Amino acid sequence: MRHLIPEFEAMKKRLPPGENGVLVLPCLKRIQEDRGYVADEDIDGLVEYLGVPRIQVEEVLSFYGMLRRAPIGRFHLQVCHNVSCSMHGAERLLDRLQSRLGIAPGQTTPDGRFTLSRVECLGSCGTAPVLMVNERYYELQSEPLLDVLLEELGKP
Amino acid sequence: MPTIYIDGRPVEAAEDQTVMQAARAAGVEIPHFCWHPALSVPGNCRICMVEVEGKGTDIACNMPVKAGMKVFTNSDEVVAHRKAILQLTLLNHPVDCGICDKAGECTLQDYHYRYNGEPSVSVDAKVPATKFNELSDRIVLDNERCILCSRCVRFTREVSGSNGLGIEHRADHSRVQPSSDGAFRGDPYSDNVVDLCPVGALLSRRFLYRSRVWYLEPTPSVCPGCERGCTINVWHRLEDWKLKSVATKENSRIARVTPLENPAVNGPWICNKGRDLADLFERPRTTQAKVGGRPAEIDEAVAAARRLIATATRPVALVSSWGSNEELEAFARHLGGRLACFVKADHRPREGEVLEDGLLIKAGKNPNSRRARELFGDAAPSFAPGTDLVLCWGEGFDPALLPAGAKLIVIGSFFDAATDRADVLLPASTQLERDGHYTNFEGVVSAFAACFPRPAGVADAEALFGLLAGEDAT
Ligand code: SF4
Ligand code: SF4
Ligand code: FES
Ligand code: FES
Repeated sequence: MRHLIPEFEAMKKRLPPGENGVLVLPCLKRIQEDRGYVADEDIDGLVEYLGVPRIQVEEVLSFYGMLRRAPIGRFHLQVCHNVSCSMHGAERLLDRLQSRLGIAPGQTTPDGRFTLSRVECLGSCGTAPVLMVNERYYELQSEPLLDVLLEELGKP
Repeated sequence: MPTIYIDGRPVEAAEDQTVMQAARAAGVEIPHFCWHPALSVPGNCRICMVEVEGKGTDIACNMPVKAGMKVFTNSDEVVAHRKAILQLTLLNHPVDCGICDKAGECTLQDYHYRYNGEPSVSVDAKVPATKFNELSDRIVLDNERCILCSRCVRFTREVSGSNGLGIEHRADHSRVQPSSDGAFRGDPYSDNVVDLCPVGALLSRRFLYRSRVWYLEPTPSVCPGCERGCTINVWHRLEDWKLKSVATKENSRIARVTPLENPAVNGPWICNKGRDLADLFERPRTTQAKVGGRPAEIDEAVAAARRLIATATRPVALVSSWGSNEELEAFARHLGGRLACFVKADHRPREGEVLEDGLLIKAGKNPNSRRARELFGDAAPSFAPGTDLVLCWGEGFDPALLPAGAKLIVIGSFFDAATDRADVLLPASTQLERDGHYTNFEGVVSAFAACFPRPAGVADAEALFGLLAGEDAT
């Protein structure tokens, strides 16, 4: 995380002194963008850099389910299974992905290419069912569209 | 000073008080879990609901007083709210009071009996959690019993400063957890969270399953661990519940030590050393007087010591800084003129012990150095040439330092190298077996009382001093 310190310094400038605790969340978010997850050494570095108690970083990490402590696959498939998406067949999409990729939600393919997650509302109910691949939304999905998507992502 | 009305009674409140504080000052106890007088106000438990005329209900712990406000602490609406809150508080609580050390002094139990008293209305299974979460070798946490009031967490952040605890995860999965860097293990004040916890979630491993609290009673005392002299309660078996056949040793053992709140000395806290006084007092005791290494009657030993004092040409006394004010004064009166007196440190810092900090712990590890020095001066013990007798009262004297040819009289409670070497040994009572006072480093005098009988063969040092001076002798 050390190479990110100049960015963190810029955030710090916008805060009154002694309020470093506020930076825990944005710093963790940035670290995850950069590395893909938050490693032990990132926690050590952040505790040292911000001067906050370690428990404060651990609380934030455990509270936010989107902060990861372990690496994931190159493509993160997050399938919404909240009300609107479920009503439009989210479970079928999940079943399809599970059988095509051979993994259950929460798992990563052995080649490290795909990670599958079942997530709550992605805020795009109007175009349900929805999934995200890394930072991109794929709306109004169906099983045939998923097959096309997987092909684009290099699934043999 | 605004006047507010609590349940119809006019109460003078201070400008900056909350309704909780004003009510307490007026002797009205409003139920509370998360609020604690010495911690910040998180307002998370909602049990302290009160009704304000014209305003509805809200929490008392975070409600500023306002002149003329009419507060009701027990109206029908308030009671209905408390019942509902208790249903929520107990939603995932295991209600295993039968095996919980806190039973009998648990506010959740008390409030439940007072306001709710009904089984859970929930039909869902309770969310399980860790029942034996080892926070340190001193403390275990039962996460199922925890009501997430955050008192323990705030204590480590606002009082002890270790930042050792936090609440991890969220909602039904929220759990108090120790910081992974071990900060809680190293917190010398950690045991205070056991008292702070309103339920039986945080438990002392030393006390775990040792006794139901209603078989115990507290005796006010003073911690001898350092010159802060924190006031404490020493808990021991109630007279009526003394064990008759099994484990009778428990009758005269310290069950636990808790702080005795004292704004002049320690506030509501003590350090962990104060919790471990059993280790100090339950060391092997001297109970047999000795003369020349052989067992003797106490009278015989006193007579022998008296002869040594009477015939010595250059006697030196090492005065205990663990003696009470009364004992020190008696020593000065009876023997101060006869012997050259020096104050001795009975206890020195142990390895790994916190030497001194900004909260309570002081570097001087004896409770009454101040009064001892007032009476006997600051000089370090030394033996002038020709010293032919050393009278050692208390512990901490290395007999290797005894001048060649000098005799040694020891008045002591516990075995050490000096009691082994003594020409005359006189067993003395401990502070748990007699009343007295200590003067702490700031000059505050605190009292301690006897909680156990004196063992056979042991005398009070104060009585011995008069006898040794030969004042009853003809
Ligand atoms: S462990 Fe006790 S003091 Fe700590 S949050 Fe839970 S109930 Fe409160
Ligand atoms: S601070 Fe000193 S007097 Fe107070 S409990 Fe600790 S050792 Fe005992
Ligand atoms: S329910 Fe799927 S995006 Fe809202
Ligand atoms: S005591 Fe007021 S909300 Fe907990």
